[in-house]
Order: sequence, then C-alpha cells, then structure tokens
Amino acid sequence: MQIRDLPYLDPGDPDVRSGFRLLVWLGRKQLGGQLKALAWGILHLASIASFPAVAGLAVNAMVDRSGRGLAWAGAAMAAVTVTVTLGETMLHRVAITNWITAAARVQQLLARRTAALGATLTRRVAAGEVVAVSTGDIERIGWCVEAVSRFSAALLTTIGVCGALAVYQPRLGLLACAGMVALALTVLPLLPRATRRADAQREKAGRATELAADTVAGLRVLRGIGGEQLFLDRYRKASQDVRRAAVRTARMWSFIEALQVALPGLLLIAVVWYGARLALDGHIAVGELVTVYGAISFLLLPLQLFGEFAMSYSFSRPSAARAARVLALRRSGEQNGAAQNAPGAEPANTAFAGAGPTAPASAASRTRPGPGTTQTGAGPAKAFRDGDLRSPDSRHGAPPGLYDPATGLHAPSGLLTAVVCGDPDAAGHLAERLGGHPPSAPDPLLGTEHEPGRATGASPGAEDADGRPAQVSVLLDGAPLDGMPLEEARTAVLVQDKDPVLLSGTLADLFDVPSSGAVGTDEALAAAQCGDVLDALVQGSPDAEGDPMRARVTERGRSLSGGQRQRLALARSLLTDPDVLVLDEPTSAVDSHTEARIARELARLRAGRTTVVFSSSPLLLDRADRVVFVHEERAVAAGTHRELLRSQSVYRAVVTREPQTATPPRTTVRSARPHTEEVESA
Amino acid sequence: MTTQQTLPQPAADRPGGEEALPTPKAPRARRLGVPEPAYDPSAPEDVTILPVGSPATVRSYVRALLRRHRRTFALLIVVNSIAVIASMAGPQLLGGVVDDLAAGARELHLGRIVALFGVALLVQTVFTQQVRLRSAVLGEEILADLREDFLVRSVGLPPSVLERAGTGDLLSRITTDIDRLADAMRKAVPQLAVGLVWTVLLIGALCVTAPPLALAVLIAVPVLLTGCRWYFRRAPHAYRAEAAGYAAVAAALAETVDAGRTVEAHRLGARRIALSERRIAEWTAWERRTMWLRTVLFPAVSLSNMLIMGGVLLLGGAFVLQGWISVGQLTTGALLAQMLVEPVGLILRWYDELQVAQVSLARLVGVREIEPDSTADGRPPHGKDVRASDVRFGYHADVDVLHGVSLEVAPGSRVALVGPSGASKSTLGRLLAGIYGPRRGAVTLGGAHLSEMPTEEVRRHVALVNQEHHVFVGSLRDNLRLARPDAQDAELWAALGAVDADGWATSLPDGLDSEVGSGGLTVTPAQAQQIALARLVLADPHTLVLDEATSLLDPRAARHLERSLAQVLEGRTVIAIAHRLHTAHDADVIAVVENGRISELGSHDALVAADGPYAALWRSWHG
Repeated sequence: MQIRDLPYLDPGDPDVRSGFRLLVWLGRKQLGGQLKALAWGILHLASIASFPAVAGLAVNAMVDRSGRGLAWAGAAMAAVTVTVTLGETMLHRVAITNWITAAARVQQLLARRTAALGATLTRRVAAGEVVAVSTGDIERIGWCVEAVSRFSAALLTTIGVCGALAVYQPRLGLLACAGMVALALTVLPLLPRATRRADAQREKAGRATELAADTVAGLRVLRGIGGEQLFLDRYRKASQDVRRAAVRTARMWSFIEALQVALPGLLLIAVVWYGARLALDGHIAVGELVTVYGAISFLLLPLQLFGEFAMSYSFSRPSAARAARVLALRRSGEQNGAAQNAPGAEPANTAFAGAGPTAPASAASRTRPGPGTTQTGAGPAKAFRDGDLRSPDSRHGAPPGLYDPATGLHAPSGLLTAVVCGDPDAAGHLAERLGGHPPSAPDPLLGTEHEPGRATGASPGAEDADGRPAQVSVLLDGAPLDGMPLEEARTAVLVQDKDPVLLSGTLADLFDVPSSGAVGTDEALAAAQCGDVLDALVQGSPDAEGDPMRARVTERGRSLSGGQRQRLALARSLLTDPDVLVLDEPTSAVDSHTEARIARELARLRAGRTTVVFSSSPLLLDRADRVVFVHEERAVAAGTHRELLRSQSVYRAVVTREPQTATPPRTTVRSARPHTEEVESA
Repeated sequence: MTTQQTLPQPAADRPGGEEALPTPKAPRARRLGVPEPAYDPSAPEDVTILPVGSPATVRSYVRALLRRHRRTFALLIVVNSIAVIASMAGPQLLGGVVDDLAAGARELHLGRIVALFGVALLVQTVFTQQVRLRSAVLGEEILADLREDFLVRSVGLPPSVLERAGTGDLLSRITTDIDRLADAMRKAVPQLAVGLVWTVLLIGALCVTAPPLALAVLIAVPVLLTGCRWYFRRAPHAYRAEAAGYAAVAAALAETVDAGRTVEAHRLGARRIALSERRIAEWTAWERRTMWLRTVLFPAVSLSNMLIMGGVLLLGGAFVLQGWISVGQLTTGALLAQMLVEPVGLILRWYDELQVAQVSLARLVGVREIEPDSTADGRPPHGKDVRASDVRFGYHADVDVLHGVSLEVAPGSRVALVGPSGASKSTLGRLLAGIYGPRRGAVTLGGAHLSEMPTEEVRRHVALVNQEHHVFVGSLRDNLRLARPDAQDAELWAALGAVDADGWATSLPDGLDSEVGSGGLTVTPAQAQQIALARLVLADPHTLVLDEATSLLDPRAARHLERSLAQVLEGRTVIAIAHRLHTAHDADVIAVVENGRISELGSHDALVAADGPYAALWRSWHG
C-alpha cells in the first residue's frame, strides 16, 4: 500500500474486541509494509553499527603506518556511507507510509461507523469519544503500529552487535550485553510514571484550552455585562497549572534522560578501563579499543528506539482501547457486534408493550378510526402487547397517511397538518417518533435512555411511567415504520428536528442532498424566504463573485442568525421533497412578517403532499388544513385553527399565550373530550 | 419513494475535488519527486475577519518576549555549555589513551583517567538533566505568556468588533494556533538554542584539538547547505498544509458526529463518508509531498554527516601518516565528529517547526493591532433618556442600512421595534445599546454620546440581551458573579429568586458551587436564559435592549420565562426587538421598521386604528 493509493476502497472489518487486538489487526493488515520496514531498519542500524569497525580499521592502519590499510578503510567508509544513507531514507519512507496508512484506515473506519450510527451519536459521551479518537488517538495508534518494525530491527541489530562483540572479545561483549540489559531495565519502569504525568499535563492543557475557548465563545456576554477580570484570573490560574504540570513532566523526562547519559557513560568507562588494560597487555590492538568504544556508543541508538517503542505502546494503549470501543458502537437493532444480546437491540419491529398502568392509548380498541384523533384513556394495546403489528388498524385498513397509535395523532395523506403540543420536550419526542426508528430509544451501548438535558431535572415526571409509547411504531399508510429498513423509512418520512444542523461548505454543497428532484433549489429557497440570507452570504464571501451557490456556510452556520439558519434548513427540507415531511418548530426564530410569508409558501409548495408542522404560531396554524392539539401525550382535539380557538380553552391558552383560566389542565382535557368527538365527526 | 442517490460533485472552485486526486500519475512518470498538490487546505476558506500581525509587529513582539525571559534563556545556554563541554571529556581522554598506547606505553595512569572520566560523566549527567528541565521551563513560560497575553487582548476587544466579526476567528486562534505554537515554543525554541550552542562548541573543540581536521567539516558544508536551502524553501508551507489537511479530516468527522440527526434524516451518510475520504486524500497528498521533501533532505544530511566523519578519518589518517597530528588527536577528532550528528539533526528538525509556527504567531499577535474604538473622555450622562436623532449607519463604507432614524425613549417606557427580517431592527437596537457608533447623527444617553463612552461605562447603564445565553464552564456562582464580581451569596440567591430560578438552583447537588456549562451539569435552554436574566438583575442597568431574547425558546418555556423577564424589566426602560406580536402588544410605543426607516410609530391601539401594515399583521396573528 502506497500513500498515493489512499483512501482504501474498503478499510476492512476491524477486530474491535479490545484495544490490543485492534493494534494487532492493524499491524497484520500492513504486514508487507512492516516486513519492508524491518528489512530497511536492519540495513540502517547494521550500517551504523559497522562504522566503529571502519574507524577501528583506520586507526589500526595509522598505528601500523599503512597507507594501503587507510585506503581500505576509505573504501569501507564509502560503502557504509551509501548503505547508511539508503537505509535511513528508505526506512523513513516505509515507516511513515505504515503510519499514514494505519491512520487513514482508522479514519475511514470511523467515518463509516459515524455515518451508520447517525442520530444515535447525538448523545454527548459517545460523540466526544469519536472526536477524541479522530483528533488525538489515531496519531498515537499509527505511531505504535509503525514503531513495531523499527523496534524489531533495533532488537535484532542489538543482539547482533552484542553477539559480534561477544565473539570478538568475549569478556567485553558480555560486559556490553549485561550493560544493555541493565540499561533497558532501569529506564523501562520509569516510563509508565512519565506517561502518567504527560497524561495529567494533557488533561490540564485540555482544560485550559476549554476555558479559553469558552471565555472567547461567551465574549459578547462578558463585554456586554462585565466579568472580564474574573475570567482572566481564572484562565491565568489554569494556564499556570498547565505550565507547572508541564515542568513536572519535563522533570521526569529529564531524569530519564540523565539516566540515559549516566548509565551508558558508566558502561563506557568500564569498557575503556578494561579495554585499555587488554590493549596494554597486548591482547587487543589499539584500533580494536576504538571499535569497542564506538560499538558501545552505537548501542545508545537502539536503546533510544526501545524507549520510543515502550513510550508509543504506553501512549497508544488507552487510545487503541478507546478506538476499539468507538468502532464497536452499534445502533440498537443493527445486526452486528455486541449489540445483539442487549435488551434494547432486538429487531426493530418487535414492539414493546412495556407500559405501566397508564398504558399508551392506541387505536387497538377502535374498529375504524376516522381521519381524526382517537379518544383518550382507551385500554392497553393488546395487539401490540402480543408483538403483533397486524393490529386491527391494518386489518381494517389503517387511515392513509401518518398515524401514531400511541397518541392517536393522525396526519392524513396529502394534507398540511399542524400539531400544537403544550410540552416542547414531548413535541420533540413525538416528532422524532413520527419518523420511525427513534434514535432516542433505549440503547444499552450508549448509556442511559434519557437525553442529556435531563440532568438538572427541569421538567419532572412527564415520561416516567408512561414514557415508553415510543415502542409502538408509527404507521405509514398502515405499515409500521419501525419495521421498514432504516433507509426506506428515512426516505419516506423526513423529520426536521428543532435544531437542524447546517453542514459547512458552499451553499451548493448544503443543498446537495438526496431529493425527489421535483422541487428546484431556487423554488425551495424562495419558499423559505431566503432572499436576505443569500445576500448576507454573498457579502460574507468575496470569492463567490456574487454567486450565492458558491458562498460558504461556516460550521453550523455560525455566521448566520438563528432565523437565517432556520430558513436555510427549511429550504433544504423542502428541496428534499419527501412523501411525508415533519417539521418541528421550523420558524420559531423567524419574525412574524417573514413567518407569515413562509406559512403561505409552505402550504403552496407542499400542496398534495403530506406535511406535519409542530408549531404554536397562529400564522402557521392558520394555514394548516388541519390542526391537532396534543395534550399530555394524547391527541385531544382536531379541527381548523379557528375552530379550536373557539372550542378549546387550553388550546387557546397555549397558542395565544393568554393566561389560562384557573382550571387545572387535566380536568380541562377530560371535559374537552366531547368536543373532540364533535370535531372528528365534523 | 426511491430517490436518486448521487455522489457529491466536486465543487468547481475546489481543485482538490475528486478528479484531481489521488494521484497525479502523469507528472510522476515524467519526473522524479512529488510536486505540491493543487489543493491547499491551509489556504483560508473564510475571509479572515480579524487582522493578522505584520512581520514588523511579530518581530518586535518576539524581541519583547525574549527580553522578558532573558534570564531563563541565559541560564539554559550556560547549563547547556557546561553539559556539552563535559561530554567532550570522553573523546579527549580516549585520545590520550590511544596516543600513549600507540607510543607503546607500559604504564597508563588508568586510575586517574577513570576518575577524570567519572567526574566528567557526573557533571554531564547533572547538567543534561538541567538542560532538559531549563528547556521546559523556558518553553512553558513563553507559551503561558503567549496564551495569557492573547486572552487579555481578546477580552479587551471593543464590542463592535465582536458583533461584526463574531467569535469564530478568535476561537480558532486560541485553539488551533495556540496548539500549533505549543510544540514550537515548548521544543523548537529551546532545542534550537541547545543545538546551536552544541554545534558551535563541538566545532570549536575540533579546531582546538586538531586544527587541520576542521577542514574535513568544511567539505561537508556545501552539501548540507544546498540540501537545506532546497528543503527549507519548500518545507514550511508543505507542513502547514499537511497539518491543516489533517485537521480538516478530523473536522469533517466531528461535523458528521455533531450533525448526526441531520445526516441521518437527510440520508447524507454516503456523502459524509465520501467527504471524509476526499479529505483523507487531500491530507495524504500533502503527506506524500513532505515525505518527498525529506527523501531529498535525509540523504543530504546523512551524506554530509558521513562526509564529515569519513573526511576526519581519511584526511586525518593522511595527516597522521604525514606526522602532522597524532593518532590520539585523530581519535578524539573522529569521536567529536561523530558527536556532531546529533546537534545538526536537532537544528534541522526544529528549524522548520519554527517557520511553521510563525504564521500562527502572526495570527495571535494580529489581535494587538485592533484599536479600541471609543475615546474615554466622553461626558458622563445626566439622566436616563435614550435618544437617537437622524441616525445614519452602515457596515460597509457608503452603504447605509439605517437612513435617518430618530427615536426618543422616555425613562421607564417600553418601546417595541417590529418589522420584517433585514429591515435593520437589530442594527438599530445595537446603536441604541451603544455597541456601534452612528456614521451621522447621534445616539445619546442623558445627553452624552453613547459611542464615546468606554464599554465599562456604557454597560452600567444599558445592556443588550440577545439569544446568546452563554453558560460559562465553571460554577453557577462564577456564572452569576461576572455581572457583579463583589456580590455575596445572598445577593446571588436573591437574583436567582427574582427570575424564578431559585427552585432548580437549590436542588443542584452543590448549590452555587455546582459546575455548569460544557462538561458540567447540563442546563436546559430555559435555565440558561434564567441565568442570563439573573445576571441582568445583578448588573442592574436602567435600560435594556432585548433582541430576540426569547425567540428560540419553546412556547411553554417562553411563557414561564416571560414571567421571569417581566420581573427583571420592572422599573427599567425597555427597547424590545419583537419577533412575536404579543410582545409588541404590551409596549407603550411600537416602531415599525422597514428598510432602515421607521415607517409607523405609535401605541398598539393607535396603530391598529390607523389600519396600516401593523394592523394587517396583527389581524393575521390574532385571528
């Protein structure tokens, strides 16, 4: 594998059972490269090792006053020069190639895994791990995988040199061997401590960077309200912490370095002392003493390589473990890896009946739900409890369009349905579920089943006992969406969540999404009232030369205002033109003037297509063919906006934000039920 | 239901698109080597909004930095010299031994030699340890200085610069550029100093030991210089591009992770994989380029090393045969020549790192070139009334977005600005909050020009409240105290109580000490907004400009918050940029802003009665 052939067509199926196995797998995948590196490494080190012998030849020649001997030494020198140069350069090339190809392979594996995990990754812990692997870990993994071959070469050469010394001068050789072993053994135990300190330092540095980035990100707040000094002091403290930790790490390394000077030095002294006596007694020639001295000096080089390998391994072990963990992540339901035997990971179409006493209402007890809402408080879904998705609905022909048995929400085919939901979190969950394969379903691998935002307990209780209606699949024209393959479900229903992300790139890149082709980019942009957004983008990117499609959107669209981002995201969803489009608060940050125009255009562009809009803005609601009011996880009323305004006081309170009358919500809902029936029959 | 799945088209303006990659095979066949890849990931894609330091600024900054750390620097040089001199004892002593042996000596004073060797080794060991330590101390001090200095400058930036430039550019400077500088400061600066001192001392020693041998070093110099010249002309740019390319690989992946929901909903998985692979191809193209550069440099260095050693040995051999130097001198010379390999390598290794770091340094230092935009000698305000008179303003020269706007806001009154997107409501709000100064006309507070007051003075009177509810990493206390650094806990609790946040705040595990923000406890958007409001209570300005303050919130949360907000607004002058008409309804005065002008002005009832654009909007809103 050469670097120019990257990326791999198929990065392979990694062994993710453990970090060590991942390293081994990566090494085996590039066995050829490893062997090449080993061969060049041996050539390189052996050439360097032979230099002292050449020097010895030269010294001997001079002691003997032999010009011929000196010429031989010169020739040997030239040969060594060539092999050292060749060995070094080629070793470097092969080693770097091994490193880069290993890193590229892991990056590719990560890209594939993240794409497959999709929405499941929005949970913070897992997402942070993926990014950590990509930014820091991969380099260390590549380093370790690459260092193996150089380490092996060093080991083989060292054994060779010690062996040669032992043959040449048994006592000197043995002295050298013993010295080497002692050196390796004294330095190695220090490495783990040094790497621990380095890790602590990195952690502190990460903290300081985080504080700095955080301070800068909130700088407008600071400048607007004060507190700069407070935050500067805090950062200074963190920065000085990093400095101290770094010096602490350096102190450890400095001792290791000192040892690496002192121990070989002692060995040299011993060799010189012993060798000089041998020379004095005439047992060895003077040149040979120089050779031995040179050989011992040479052994410092492989010693450094041993140290480097030990370091790369201790650095990369946690990295490899994390990479293996991330690459082993699976969606619940994905038929691979460890997810299979976990409780939430059964095939997606197995519906759970696991609800408490207030089981989710469903259409089960109804023989034929009209194109309207279901009544609340119906009995538990027997059919679903049996795991049979061919519920009475499907048998008797489910309502065409999108239908959620859990809440009774129905969005008839070809109509624009607006949904008003008092609780924004519940609205988010409902919207997510309408797309099938809800990503926030319990997932054993990614930790708890609660969203991260729950930590401070903001809205208690809403989804405790009956928080599992998510397990009953939404039906699209009678077919359970959760039972369809993921790709098919996503093609049929597009759910635009509350916080859609604009991916960076040019506007053309942004709108390069799989689509039906029926709606043009210009049409979609016009419908979402993006005119001023395009102007702003063109002004911000002079390279675009006035062409908005070539203007760049920065990461997450940070250069745009909240309203501008929302409108671009809406345009993207309109362009996609799915059979069913679900929009969650698509215009919450758009001003009323513009929102009114968007509402009109949305209704026009989606005429004849199924559209569901979660909103509480009267401007949007007024344009909808039908408005469904969802309260406490049930669709309690349906009709036009004006009808509901008249008949439903709770609805009126939510939509117009007028203070609600003293009646507690639950009672209101109960008493509202007759109205629901009326609306339905209307 | 099936839709067309097309792979992403390479953008026309990006030569690194698919066709150009991965292999420029044709040129490869013609000539040896790897030319620069066409696509340069380090070329900035977005316009750099904040200035980049000029070479002169960078130079003077570096000089000042070195002056500040000259003692640490001097100490490093001294310590290093001692370590190097001690390390030369071995070759000298061995040379002596060889001379004696060659002369056929019977007696060697081995004890004395070993003792000298031992002492030298001890000195070398101690000072090598010190060199390493002093290097780190120097590098870390410089680095800490750099990053702290940058943040000091950043938090002093005028709000107008922040409003216009956003914080993205600053953010990338304090993360990416500081990271890039870290290695340079931590290693390159001290290592280069060490390497230079080392080389000079070794060559000096060689000259002293056996002057003719220094000739051998000269032979190698042209080879080394030619190689280095070729390399250093090309390397810095290539390494910068390579690093940027690698960062782009990680960034593409991070974006896929961050946008997980969107990627899945829009079925962008295949496109994201393709993008990642394109980034990998772009990055590795530069890896090939730098590898080629080293493929040229390494043999040059290796060759010059061997030339030095071979030259010393052979020339020296000839000299010995001629009787110009002794065998011992030659031995010492050869060993010293061998020792030269390391410092030369050190210099070569870190020199390009320093060149790469220069660009990052220029970006950091550039922030120093921004002038503070207010003059501190404005008159103090007398009174609390805000008044805009015939204000004209534009972001670009000659292009006004506000065309002669006049507005009077009486103390304690509520004014709502309504109007379509792009009508410059927010711009007007920022002028009234003193963030921008008008091009013509005046915005005054109590008769004093807002734009001439220092930021610290303005914010005692006026605060802009926008959708940005940044919760800082740190304790809840820090998050509140920034508004009033000397506030006691009781005051903080009172502020939380005023915005109905004391309920959840009391239930936090550590109360005010609870860590919030990224990495700490997650607060909901509504709670973040309450924290922002509590800060306002503590800062206690008499006038507030609200811009989309609650617009990103869900209706139910917003309703709850509006109650908190109402308590904060009590008794203050409020200028609200209203996206939702019910906010406008309650205002004393409504100003309809269209195309940078105020087209309607009056109370709600008056405007409805006037039956203009506002009335039409109100009807569709209210039904």
